[in-house]
Amino acid sequence: MLDNAISVKSVNKYYGAHHALKGINLDVPQGQTLVVCGPSGSGKSTLIRTMNGLESIASGQLEVLGLDIADDARNLEAVRKKVGMVFQNFNLFPHLTILENCVLPQIRSVGRDRAAATVEAMDQLKKMHVDIHAEKYPDQLSGGQKQRVALARALCLKPEVMLFDEPTSALDPEMISEVLDVMQELAKENMTIVCVTHEMGFAQAVADSVLLMADGEIVEQGTPDQMFNNPQHAVTRQFMDVVKK
Amino acid sequence: MSTSVVPPLPKQGFGNWLKKHFFSTWLNSVFTVIFGAVLIWMCIKLSNWAILDAIWSVDNKEHCGHGAGACWAVIQDRGRLIMFGLYPYEEQWRSTLACLIVILTIGLSCLPSFWSIKKLPALWVIGFGTFVLLMRGGFAGLPLVTSEQWGGLSLTIFIFSAVFVLGMPLAVVFALARRSSLPVIAKGTGLFIDLVRSLPLLTILFAAAVVVPLLVPDWLEGNKLGRVVVAFAVFFAVYQAEIIRAGLQSTSQGQEEAAAALGMPYWSLVVDILLPQAFRNTLPSTINQAVITFKETSIVTIIGFFEVMASGNAAIGGGEWTEQFVEVYVFLALVYFVFVFGLSRYGAWLENRMRVGHA
Ligand SMILES: Nc1ncnc2c1ncn2[C@@H]1O[C@H](COP(=O)(O)OP(=O)(O)OP(=O)(O)O)[C@@H](O)[C@H]1O
Ligand SMILES: [Mg+2]
Repeated sequence: MLDNAISVKSVNKYYGAHHALKGINLDVPQGQTLVVCGPSGSGKSTLIRTMNGLESIASGQLEVLGLDIADDARNLEAVRKKVGMVFQNFNLFPHLTILENCVLPQIRSVGRDRAAATVEAMDQLKKMHVDIHAEKYPDQLSGGQKQRVALARALCLKPEVMLFDEPTSALDPEMISEVLDVMQELAKENMTIVCVTHEMGFAQAVADSVLLMADGEIVEQGTPDQMFNNPQHAVTRQFMDVVKK
Repeated sequence: MSTSVVPPLPKQGFGNWLKKHFFSTWLNSVFTVIFGAVLIWMCIKLSNWAILDAIWSVDNKEHCGHGAGACWAVIQDRGRLIMFGLYPYEEQWRSTLACLIVILTIGLSCLPSFWSIKKLPALWVIGFGTFVLLMRGGFAGLPLVTSEQWGGLSLTIFIFSAVFVLGMPLAVVFALARRSSLPVIAKGTGLFIDLVRSLPLLTILFAAAVVVPLLVPDWLEGNKLGRVVVAFAVFFAVYQAEIIRAGLQSTSQGQEEAAAALGMPYWSLVVDILLPQAFRNTLPSTINQAVITFKETSIVTIIGFFEVMASGNAAIGGGEWTEQFVEVYVFLALVYFVFVFGLSRYGAWLENRMRVGHA
């Protein structure tokens, strides 16, 4: 068994002259849930997107599920099949039905046959309580439903790690909990999760570790309890005061 | 229990509707009366000319012209020339059949259920293969009819659909190449597209018909119709490529990221995700391009092909029917109208279907 699902060492990332990640060091143990928070523009999305290679890095080491994706681009393909991602804006395929959104990636990326893929898709949609919408198109669903479909679509590939980039930020307040609930289920099933979110209730309930970023750096990392009740850094204290309100 | 409260619609009879849309002010009333009168007068005139006073049969040919209406006898007499050009008389059933097969092929390709990477090419290979075999003959007792003798409406339809079928995949390739991450390919394609777009269609077709045979070895020459169709297809493709590129640009970055994050390969991203959305987003421009191309097929006359327009001219050129040019042109206009109108209605249907069912 691997200890760390994700291991980040001295990772640097630039957008032109902007130093977006400044020598990040981070380990995510297998089966744990890490919540990443921090002010806007601090590099949270950039960090999480390096973990499945949506962003390339300038220097440093990056291992996901034991595969080096910093130096060997060929590993990227394998990693993406085992690492699911859910975006703020859902990014469902608008021209495909909900069912097809879940079936097609299985066929194309792991070569499952259509019948098996359909069974799997319906299974996951059912777990996300959106199976009755299988024949609809994404436009016909609410934000909360869309996000649960996006999650089902990712889970169809049986990922070992799930990445979430502000999965509830684009949702109306009354739909946030329906998405957080299914994520909580997932965390309990010992999925390795990295989630960028400002939902501190969620962090409190399921996170093994909470990490605060500011200006491309990790300011502080600790258990939810430490981070909320006994933060060491002034920046953390300030940030927690803001999000607790 | 839910009770829905629907506000009562105001009662609106035909009289009210008329008043609201045509007689709301005195100025509107004046316009309505004037245009109404002109319209009715034109309808009466037209139906008198085209139907009531028209002469339909060649047997009554001597009455044509002398104050009578349209002389449709010319179509009865010369219709076959217009439809088939110089295609041998006894073999014209082949041309008819081939034409119907191509129309069927086009019709089937229009159905969304045929839109898959396997079905469409198969359909086209079978459809066009049968067309060419039937038209050309030279086997199983069918006399050989070379493409120089093809003509009329079947030639027009063949050129149009062949240009479309060859040009569309080419357009996709151009559009993707222009977005390529390799600068050499992207820039090169851009240059090529701009170059072809800066030349008139006539120049390109002329070069393909006349200049190419002088430059390339015999075995590469192919036949004239083939060269012209390929050149025409390239011309179509550079315009269509820009339309597709606009469609690709209008799909969100998130789509590519989602597909990548799901581990889908690049070809699948393009074929399953980007292209369907690009075509959806640019359907009106694509239909527009198809209509323009259909009408532009008449340009092949100039390099010696006898498509439907040229055949029409030949029909009135013989001396016997010189005075009936109006009837022949009206007939040609109707032929074009049927196709172009069909295309636009199909476009509208597809757009509507995509809005409702998202195809
Ligand atoms: N594609 C890009 N090109 C240039 N700069 C970028 C790009 N993406 C992000 N940046 C910059 O990098 C920094 C970090 O961005 P990132 O999206 O990671 O922030 P974030 O912490 O996720 O913020 P938010 O909470 O607003 O989502 C920002 O200053 C942003 O402007
Ligand atoms: Mg972000």
